[in-house]
Amino acid sequence: MTDTPLTRASTAAELTIATPEGVVFRLPLAGPPSRLYAMLLDIVIVLGTVNGGGLLVYWIFSKAPGFGFMVITLAEFAIGFAYSALLEGFWNGQTIGKRLFHLRVIDQDGLPLRIEQAWVRNLMRVFDALPFAYLAGGLSVLSSPLMQRFGDRVAGTLVVRQTPLAAPVEEFWMRQKYNSFMDYPAIAMKLRRAATPELATLIQDALRRRQELAAYARREIYRELVTYLQCEISPFPDELIEKLSDEQYLINASGILFGEQRPSRVRV
Amino acid sequence: MILDLERFQAQARPRWRDLELLLAALESRPDRRLNPAEAEQLQELYAQIAADLNRVTHGALAPELRQYLERLVARAYAELYYAPPMRSEIWQPRRWLRIFTAFPETFRRHARYFALAVLITLLGCAFGGLAVRYDPAAVDVLLPVDYLRNPGQRVHDEEQRQGQHLNSAQTEAAFSAQLIRHNIEVALLAAALGVTFGIGTALLLFENGVLLGAVAVHYTQQGFGLFMTAWLLPHGVFEIPSILIAGQAGFYLARLLLRRREDRNVRQSMREWLVLVAGLAMMLVWAGLMEAFFSQHHAPVLPYGFKVAVAAAELLLLTIYLLMIGRRGIGTEARSGVPSESR
Repeated sequence: MTDTPLTRASTAAELTIATPEGVVFRLPLAGPPSRLYAMLLDIVIVLGTVNGGGLLVYWIFSKAPGFGFMVITLAEFAIGFAYSALLEGFWNGQTIGKRLFHLRVIDQDGLPLRIEQAWVRNLMRVFDALPFAYLAGGLSVLSSPLMQRFGDRVAGTLVVRQTPLAAPVEEFWMRQKYNSFMDYPAIAMKLRRAATPELATLIQDALRRRQELAAYARREIYRELVTYLQCEISPFPDELIEKLSDEQYLINASGILFGEQRPSRVRV
Repeated sequence: MILDLERFQAQARPRWRDLELLLAALESRPDRRLNPAEAEQLQELYAQIAADLNRVTHGALAPELRQYLERLVARAYAELYYAPPMRSEIWQPRRWLRIFTAFPETFRRHARYFALAVLITLLGCAFGGLAVRYDPAAVDVLLPVDYLRNPGQRVHDEEQRQGQHLNSAQTEAAFSAQLIRHNIEVALLAAALGVTFGIGTALLLFENGVLLGAVAVHYTQQGFGLFMTAWLLPHGVFEIPSILIAGQAGFYLARLLLRRREDRNVRQSMREWLVLVAGLAMMLVWAGLMEAFFSQHHAPVLPYGFKVAVAAAELLLLTIYLLMIGRRGIGTEARSGVPSESR
């Protein structure tokens, strides 16, 4: 099946997929704790369903408890395997527990898993559960670079984390129309020329993370950046600087560095 | 190149949103089929957003944005390269019935692993049988359960309990369920132990063989050969072969894992392993029913000769099934029954 040349180079925390088109993307792997919690939740769900259904079965077979017992024993056994296999196979690689813990089973080539794989990895639980409490499976997960239990290794699947990600929002600070640095085209030009890409990214990163930073940290970082820019790169005149907050200074600088607001009037 | 992230995002956001909408629509469709226009749109958006991802990866320090784009690319990649089986294929009764022909076909295709399982079990039988034959003390070690050690007592008990058995279809039903469950668990374990490169499977089969051989010799020595045959064979003729098939599945899995990665046809192999497991599970359901409802009745209710005859008939039917069914048109049917490769 793996006829497309895929390269897999992965660390403990992620699966890296290189597609045939030369795109590389990473998928974060799920660690043992979240998988364990998801499994425990699934066990509770299965036991709850079986026992709830069991009461109904006993009621239906109240004249023949032996047959009732037969139905329940076999149903419990079948549901134990079928629950995970069918849900994972038909519901995007997720059981109810996995969905709640943001986990998903996928093929190790980054594609959705197929129904056979779902069955194989779940039937292999009889081995992973040995000798008790999923010891074999747990050791396998810890020793595997892709965090696979034996069932995953055989079926060629793995479990990824899938926390919901929202599209990044537009930042307020890029919407400013007027940039006072434009009034000093020569200095602005100097800033553009002298700033390294790392510095430019650093400035933008500092701005984007303003909400994540504690107030004092933000003040310190912005202060240091402004001091550095003022002293080493582009000394804008004091009368301008006095009117600007550090944050505004950085917003202006970022506008100059990245923007189309380039000081194009200066051609010396 | 440095990327002006904000400007870049403002410019690219509409296409990210387009892709998200398209993917959400596709993922909510059960068969996930694309019409040509959508396929083209998906292909185009995928290419653009893959390019966006490359730019973010190499041109900016924006871990969250990168993650977001990676997630989008991964989802689009999955839609482009994966075709799930059609819903109509899944729910066709004919496909489900095909298990009944696929099982003997698969069994025959991998007969050599079955032969290996038989060989190991026979070795176990020989070991157990010879040990009991030449060293009566071995009985205590090899047969851990008390009732197996004292055939006379056991036979007496069994034949005395006739009266209870007659009115206890209930008990038998419950008993059969436990047997089915236990046997399938053991068989599944034998098949899964292939993951230990077959060592676990071999040990399990050998142990099973030792027990079988020891019981057989022990009972025969004490003159209960006929009782034992009639007691064990009506279900044993299904139970023992199904454990052997479990061993076959285990060795098949081991062989697959020992193969170099490039040589594996993982998808086909997994299907064959599953077919073997499903087939042996069906056999064990039958064996469990026979064991509870039939095997436990002894003479004079059921003459031993009759029980042995039933066992022989079962064995004959099973042999015919495993060796003959699905022979005609294997090639054509196998090809049409397996859905086309999804890539």
